[in-house]
Amino acid sequence: MSSTLKGITLKGSAELVAEFFSFGINSILYQRGIYPPETFTRVTQYDLSLQLTTDPKLKNYLSNVVSQLKEWLFDCTVQKLVVVITCLETNEVLERWQFDIECDKTAKESSAPREMSMKAIQQEIRSVIRQITATVTFLPLLETACAFDLLIYTDKDLEVPEKWEESGPQMIDQSEEVRLRSFTTSIHKVSSMVAYKRMDSM
Amino acid sequence: MDDLEDDTTVFSTLKSFKNFITRPDRSLSEAGPAYGRSDLQKLYTQRLEMEEAAERIHSHTNLLQLTQEKQQMELSHKRARIELEKAAHLSSRDLQREVDRNQDLLTRIRRLEDREADAGQALSEQVENNKALKHSIEELHKKVDEKDSKLTEANQTISALRDELRGLNQQLQTQESKLSTQTLENQALQEQSELQRRKYQELSQRYQSLQTSQFSSTESELKIKELERRLALQEQDSVIVKNMKTEVARLPDLEREVKRLREENAYLRETKENSSLLKEETEGLRKKLKRMEKVKEDMVNLELEKEKLELKLKAWEDIGQTTGLNIRKPEDLSREVIQIQQREINLKQQNYTLTTSLRTLEKARAELQTEVVQQRSKALEEQKKRENQDALVKRLQKRVLLLTKERDGMRAILESYDRELASTEYSPQLTRRVREAEEMLQKVQAHNTEMEAQLSKAQEEAGTFKLQAQRAELELDVLKKQQASVVESNPIATTEEINSLRQKIEELESERQRLEEQNNILEMRLERHNLQGDYDPVKTKVIHFRLNPTSVAKQQRAEEVEQLREECQRLRDRLRTLQAEGTMATDDASFSIPPSQEVLDLRKQMESAELKNQRLKEVFQKKIQEFRTACYVLTGYQIDITMENQYRLTSVYAERMEDCLLFKANGPVGSGSMQLLETDFSRTLTEMVDLHLFHQKSIPAFLSAVTLDLFSRQTII
Repeated sequence: MSSTLKGITLKGSAELVAEFFSFGINSILYQRGIYPPETFTRVTQYDLSLQLTTDPKLKNYLSNVVSQLKEWLFDCTVQKLVVVITCLETNEVLERWQFDIECDKTAKESSAPREMSMKAIQQEIRSVIRQITATVTFLPLLETACAFDLLIYTDKDLEVPEKWEESGPQMIDQSEEVRLRSFTTSIHKVSSMVAYKRMDSM
Repeated sequence: MDDLEDDTTVFSTLKSFKNFITRPDRSLSEAGPAYGRSDLQKLYTQRLEMEEAAERIHSHTNLLQLTQEKQQMELSHKRARIELEKAAHLSSRDLQREVDRNQDLLTRIRRLEDREADAGQALSEQVENNKALKHSIEELHKKVDEKDSKLTEANQTISALRDELRGLNQQLQTQESKLSTQTLENQALQEQSELQRRKYQELSQRYQSLQTSQFSSTESELKIKELERRLALQEQDSVIVKNMKTEVARLPDLEREVKRLREENAYLRETKENSSLLKEETEGLRKKLKRMEKVKEDMVNLELEKEKLELKLKAWEDIGQTTGLNIRKPEDLSREVIQIQQREINLKQQNYTLTTSLRTLEKARAELQTEVVQQRSKALEEQKKRENQDALVKRLQKRVLLLTKERDGMRAILESYDRELASTEYSPQLTRRVREAEEMLQKVQAHNTEMEAQLSKAQEEAGTFKLQAQRAELELDVLKKQQASVVESNPIATTEEINSLRQKIEELESERQRLEEQNNILEMRLERHNLQGDYDPVKTKVIHFRLNPTSVAKQQRAEEVEQLREECQRLRDRLRTLQAEGTMATDDASFSIPPSQEVLDLRKQMESAELKNQRLKEVFQKKIQEFRTACYVLTGYQIDITMENQYRLTSVYAERMEDCLLFKANGPVGSGSMQLLETDFSRTLTEMVDLHLFHQKSIPAFLSAVTLDLFSRQTII
């Protein structure tokens, strides 16, 4: 209740969005079978039961990325986050889950909290995650061993931190794109979409 | 039926007979005349013959009838037989059916019997069950009874305990009363002690007086001391009792107090909760209040603003009223503003057109001014020319005058000469000269006129130039006026200009639309590219974590490939060396293959086999144990293998643990030859050994005898 009364600050928004990414990425990894389902555990978040990985390496990696992402969200320097799923045999990009992030940079100057209901944001996040789950029905089956990577599109003037490096956009040759829902915290607007390689048989 | 048939036959015979009768009549009547002449005998014989014939016929007919009848009978018989057969068939079928049904019924009956038997069995079982249940119920009843009895016992014990309690209470009371009596006694004793003291004083006095009473006094003193001790004890007891009493008295109070405190506690807890709730509420209310205050401030500010705005609005409305425009609402204002803007735009457009026309006019004016200047210079030139010509005319007039004077002089001279030389020879000459002079004059005059004409012409030209200049000036004025008018008022733009401008606007509009479409297409493409993950490298850069799962997986894969390659290389080397060395033993130390799938499989197999073995061992152990116990129970001997080919037998009925028989197998066990080894026990059985082993050569008999012997011994005991 108190959070709804106070509204939302830039910091809170960054935390919220980073949390969403953490759960969203876990959901994608579980739904797309990148990691075996027995390495996931069930938790309840946003009034949904979600799968969270228990693989220590993956957990470590995700926490690293998400904490860094949180900083960038706070600085409003991040433009996109992309989950790239690559086939290990052919090194071909099969799927791209793209989350466009629009930062309201005016929030950096004025620290006053915005009027926004936490409930409404969670509602929106819930529907985005639900849609991610539902996309499994039309996405082509990943038949080969696959791995994933997280790309972050940032402003050009950003200094690349240690342990990070520049990368290519990892685009898909001949892709189909589907736009998914979006949500906004009034400071960060996150619109999601998925692009996947068009199969010849389809 | 038969009767009726008989009747019909009779009837038919009769008919046939009648027929027959009628026919011979006719034949008779015909034959009559033929045989009329013959005698009576003849007639009689004839008649007899006739009758015989008739009879024969009759019999014949009868026969026929009978045959017919027979046929009919046969037919009917056949029919009947057929019917019978049919009936028989039907009945047989029925019978068959009946038999079938019977069998069915039999089978059913059997089944039912079976079922009945089953049911009977079930019933019996049920009955048994019932019995068992009854038993159990009875048992339960018994148990219940027992429980009841226990309960009653318990109740009794409870009552007894209660009684005891009551007794104890009574004892307590009695004790209390005793205590009171003791206190009373105590007091009495105190009094007594005082008395004793007095007595003691008396006794001391007496002691002083009477030394003999000293002994008794010491005794009494001792007694007194004892009593004092007792008194002290009693006092202590009484104090303890008092304390107990007070405590006992305080107990209900304390209980009450505890209850009260508990209630108070509960109440306080409630109040605490309430108070926390109230605190929360107050907190909430305070927050609300703050918010409300803020809202209030905001409201005040807003009201102030509103007033200001109202004032402004009023001012605007006043302006609107004063300007006469119908401004009541902001929409009106905006509409007005839009109208004004439109008007302004129109005006601006007009202005633009006007400025353009002004510029053109200015240009024209400048051209005209230059023209005017040219014209002026021309006019000046013309004037100069004219002046020159005027001057020339004057000079020429002067010369004309001079020439006329000269001519007049010449004429005077000539006249004078004429006079002097009147009609002399010179006169023609002179006249000629005069004529010449006159001609010259005329020429000069002609020239003069010519010049004059030229002058006039020049003057005319100058006039025309002047006129031209004037006209140009007029034009200039007009233009200036036009310009002024253009600047001053809204000149109506020329329709041509408007048309051209409209065309231009339309063109621009179409171009704009085209560009918009293009823009849309490009935006769509951009969107698509954006969706595909494209980005602007000027503004954006893509980064990722160096140790991401993909690169890690790729690296692992590469390492794996490298490893496999190495292994492959190693294997190839090995192969080569093997080929080179033939079947020579190779150095195994340098070669270590990581456990392949096959090896792993084999290991698994081995493990499973071991497990199997283990299980089998267990089972064998169990079976052996079972077998041994069975042997022990059945034969009465426990057989142990102490050494190779040596068996120890211990009887069930052995008197001591050490009593055992030892057998040794000669050669393989299968040969069946056994030897009894001497033991302490076997030494006692020499008789049996002699009898059964040496004589009968039967170990089982010997063993049985031993068993019987031991058994008999045991049972005797």
